[in-house]
Amino acid sequence: MSYLISGLNIKNISEYNSSSLYSKFDIIDYQLNTGVSVMPNYTGFGITGLTTWFNNDSLNNFLTDTSFRVTGWLNNVSGSGNLFTTTSDVNNRGRVDFNESYITLSDSQVLSGSGFNSDSRVLLLAFEVLTPSNITEQTICKFGTGNNYGLLKVNGKDELFSAKFILDSQQFDAISSIYDDKNIVTLIQNSSANTIKIRQNGYELGTYSSFNDYWKSGELTLGLNPNNGGIRYHEIIHFTGSLNTSQIDQYEKYLFEKYFKNEGLYFAKNNVPTGSDYSPITYTGNSYWTRDINDLFFLSYGSSASFSAKLSPLTFGDGYKTNVTNGINTLSSKFNIVYDGLTDLQAKTLITYFENTPQSQNKSDYEGFKGVDLNLFTPYKQDCETYFLNINHSTPYNDINKINIEAESFYESCLNYKGMYVLLDEKNIKTYTDTTFEFAYNDVFYYPSTNFYQRGYYFYTGQAKGVAQGSAGPLSPQNSPTGVSTYFTRDFYFKQDIDYDIQENIRIKSVDFKNSTKEYRKDGEYPNIFEFEVKLTKRSNKETLAILKFLDDKAGFKIFNYTLPQPYNKTIQVYCPEWNHTYQFYDNNSINAKFIQFNSKFSALTVFNSLITFTS
Amino acid sequence: MAKFINYQNLDFKLNSQNFYASKVSLSINASVDPVLVSDGTLLDYAPQGSLVGSLSADFYLTGSLPSFLDITGINSDKITGLFGGVQIDNLYAKSLSFSVEPFQPTILSVEFDWYGRLSIQNIEEQKVSERQNKQVPQYFANAYRSSMTNTDLDGVESIVNFSYNSSCDRPAFFKVDEIVPFRVAKLNKKAEISLSSNSLGDSIDIDGKMVTTTLTLKDLYNTTLQTFYVSGVMNNQKYEISEGNYLLTSANIYQQVTEVKTLI
Repeated sequence: MSYLISGLNIKNISEYNSSSLYSKFDIIDYQLNTGVSVMPNYTGFGITGLTTWFNNDSLNNFLTDTSFRVTGWLNNVSGSGNLFTTTSDVNNRGRVDFNESYITLSDSQVLSGSGFNSDSRVLLLAFEVLTPSNITEQTICKFGTGNNYGLLKVNGKDELFSAKFILDSQQFDAISSIYDDKNIVTLIQNSSANTIKIRQNGYELGTYSSFNDYWKSGELTLGLNPNNGGIRYHEIIHFTGSLNTSQIDQYEKYLFEKYFKNEGLYFAKNNVPTGSDYSPITYTGNSYWTRDINDLFFLSYGSSASFSAKLSPLTFGDGYKTNVTNGINTLSSKFNIVYDGLTDLQAKTLITYFENTPQSQNKSDYEGFKGVDLNLFTPYKQDCETYFLNINHSTPYNDINKINIEAESFYESCLNYKGMYVLLDEKNIKTYTDTTFEFAYNDVFYYPSTNFYQRGYYFYTGQAKGVAQGSAGPLSPQNSPTGVSTYFTRDFYFKQDIDYDIQENIRIKSVDFKNSTKEYRKDGEYPNIFEFEVKLTKRSNKETLAILKFLDDKAGFKIFNYTLPQPYNKTIQVYCPEWNHTYQFYDNNSINAKFIQFNSKFSALTVFNSLITFTS
Repeated sequence: MAKFINYQNLDFKLNSQNFYASKVSLSINASVDPVLVSDGTLLDYAPQGSLVGSLSADFYLTGSLPSFLDITGINSDKITGLFGGVQIDNLYAKSLSFSVEPFQPTILSVEFDWYGRLSIQNIEEQKVSERQNKQVPQYFANAYRSSMTNTDLDGVESIVNFSYNSSCDRPAFFKVDEIVPFRVAKLNKKAEISLSSNSLGDSIDIDGKMVTTTLTLKDLYNTTLQTFYVSGVMNNQKYEISEGNYLLTSANIYQQVTEVKTLI
C-alpha cells in the first residue's frame, strides 16, 4: 500500500491496475506500473548490460564553457562514450539550468558522440519536447553518421491519432501528450528478430520491423532541430543486449518516479474500461480520470462566502481615526462550500479528495503545495485557487450525505481593477461605452474614464431601457454615469431589510472611586460612533451581484456614504470591513455587512490606478 | 360559452407505460416570501425553494407493478409522465396506497412530486379516435381473490378488509443556479397496513406486537398481479361494536423500511 493510501481515513482505495474496470467516482493511486523501481546501475538482480547513463544529477555530468553553455555531457558509466558539441558558435551550444533536471537543446544546438554501438539494445529516454511554433518533425535522437541515420522523431498536433512517434519513416500513434509533458520512450532493439519495439510511458506503441543497420551504429546525436523550441533531455539510459519486460518496467518506473509529477490519486469521472491506454496520463484517459474537483462535483445552495479586511485603525481622539491597511491585499476571504445530496460513493470520493489536497505538487521549489482550483458560485469568479481547511460531513439517512468544506483563498488581488472576486467579465458586468444601450435596474458598469476620479464602477438606478422597451439607442450624455442628470450612482443605494437592529455605544470616560461611586466624563467630541450590521436578505441574483460588486470594490476600507434608516435618516460616512453572503436558493441571497461609521473627512476617492493595457 | 376539456377513459402514461386511471390531479406550488425593506416598501417576492408540483392518480392495476412505483425500493430515478398531451419530465413517486374491500375492484392511488416547468396550457382533449380505439383491459385487481395472510398475525382470524400505504419523503438536491434537482432521494421509507377483522388476539404491548404478512392482489381469474410483503409492528388495535352488528376489530401495522449499506 502506498503512503498516499495509508495516509487516508478511507478504505478500499487501490493502486491503478490497467486490467481492472473502474466505475465513476472510483479512486486510484496512479503509478506507472505496480512493480518496483530500480536504479540503472543496480546489479543485485544480476548483470544488466548498462553501458550508457546520462543524467543531470551533478555538475560533474557536464563540461561547460565560460558562459555555462554545455560543451559536453558525460556518461556516468566509465569507459563508455560521451556526448560533445564541437561547434565554435556559442549559440549552438545547449544550456543547462542547474536548478532543473534537464539540459535543453533548441534550434541548432546539438550533442553527439561515439561509443554507443550495439546490435541489440534497450534505450530509455526521459525527455520533454517543447511545443514548436510550427508543427514539424523534431528529432529526439539518431544513430549513424553523414546522411545515414536511424531516427527517433516526434511530429503532429498534440492529440490522439495526430501525435506521432516516428522510427525512420514508420509512424506510431502516441498515447500520451507529446509536447510540454515529460515522456519516457523506450526502444527495444532486437537484432536477431530485426525489430525495434517502441514504448511510451510503459505502453507499447508498436513494432518497427526490418530496421536498417544504421540503428546499430555507435554514433549518437541529440538535438539539431532548427527553428524549434527545443527538447529537454532529462536522462538517457542504454543497455547493451536485451532485458525482459519486468526489468524494463522497473527502469521505466525509476524514470517515472524521478521526473513525473502526475503520480498520485486520480478520480474516475466516467466508467473506465480496461487497458493501459485508459490510464490517467493518456489522451484517452483524460476523458476518464481527473484531479479537477469541478469535473466531479458541483456546489449546492447554502454555499457562502465571508470577507474581512485586515486593518489597523489609528485613533486620534474625538472619534477620529484612519485605517491603515495591513498589506496590499486587505481582504481575506473564506468560502463555505456545500455539496449536498451526495451518495455514499460520492461522499467517499469527496472526503478522499479533501484529505489528499496537501499531497498536491508544490507550486515551485520555493512555495508550498498548490491549492484547489475551484469554480465558485454565482456571482464569484470561476477557477479560484483555494485551500481546503476543514470538512464537515453529515448524513441524515442511508446514502444521503452533505459535506461542507471551508476553503480559503489568498491569491486574488483587490488591486485588480476588474475586481477581486466579482469580476468585470463583460457579461454580467460590462464596460460602459457611448454605444451601450441595454440597461436594467441594478446593472453594474465599469466607466473607463481618463479622469482619475470619474473612473470606476457605477450602478444603474434608472428605469429599464433597451430593445425590449422599444429603445435601441444609447443614453444621452446627461444621463451617462458622469452626466448632470445621471441614471447611475456610486453610493450605497440598496435598501436594508425592514427588520433591523442597531446598537449604539456612547464613547465616554469613567473614573471609578473605589468602594464609593463612579464618575463619567465626556471623551472629547463626537462620542456617538455607529457600528452596526446591515442585513439584505432574500435578494435576487441581480441585486446581489450589484451589492457584492459594491463591497468588493470598496475592498474593506474605502469610505462611502450611507443613509441610516428611520428614525435616524441621516447620511453618514462608513466603511465595511466585514461581510458575508449566502446563496440560499436561485434568486434568493442573504448578505450581512458590518458598517462602521467613519468621522474623518476623506478628501479623495481611493482608487487604484492599475489599469494595465497590453499593446500586443 | 366557455370550453371545458372533456375526458373519458383517461390516458395516463408513466415511463411510456399505460395506466388505466380513473382520476388524475395535478397542482403546482411556488414557495415565495415577501421582501420588505427598511422604508416599508415591498421590494419583491423571493423564491424560498423550487417550483414543486404534486401529481396524484388513481388507477386500476392490470399487471404487476413496475419497479419505479415501488416506493420502499431502492429505485429513486425520475419518471416521465404523459397526461392530456402534456409531458412531465421530473416525476418522483412518494406514496402508493390501495384499499381492498369485499368484491370491489382495487384502485391504486399514487402520488408524485414533480419539478421544473410544465406547459400545462398545452393540455388537450382526448381525440375521439383515440378514445374509440382504446383497448379495454380485461384483467384488473379485484378483492374477490385478493388476500392478506394471517398465519403470522397472532390471533387474527377472518380479515374483512385491509388497506395498504407505502410512502417516503423525497428530499430534493439542487446544483447552484438550477431549479430542477439533480437528485431526489428517498428518506423515511415506511409501509403501513390497516385491517379489519373479527378478532386480533392478544392486545399489543408497549413495544407493539411484531407481525409479518403478505398482501396479494389478484384479478378475478385468480392471477396474482402483485404481492406486498410487510414485516413490522402492530401498533394500534381498536374494538368496535354497535347495535345490530358484530364485534369488529381493526388494527394498524407499521414497518420502517431499511436498507443495509453496501460496503464501498
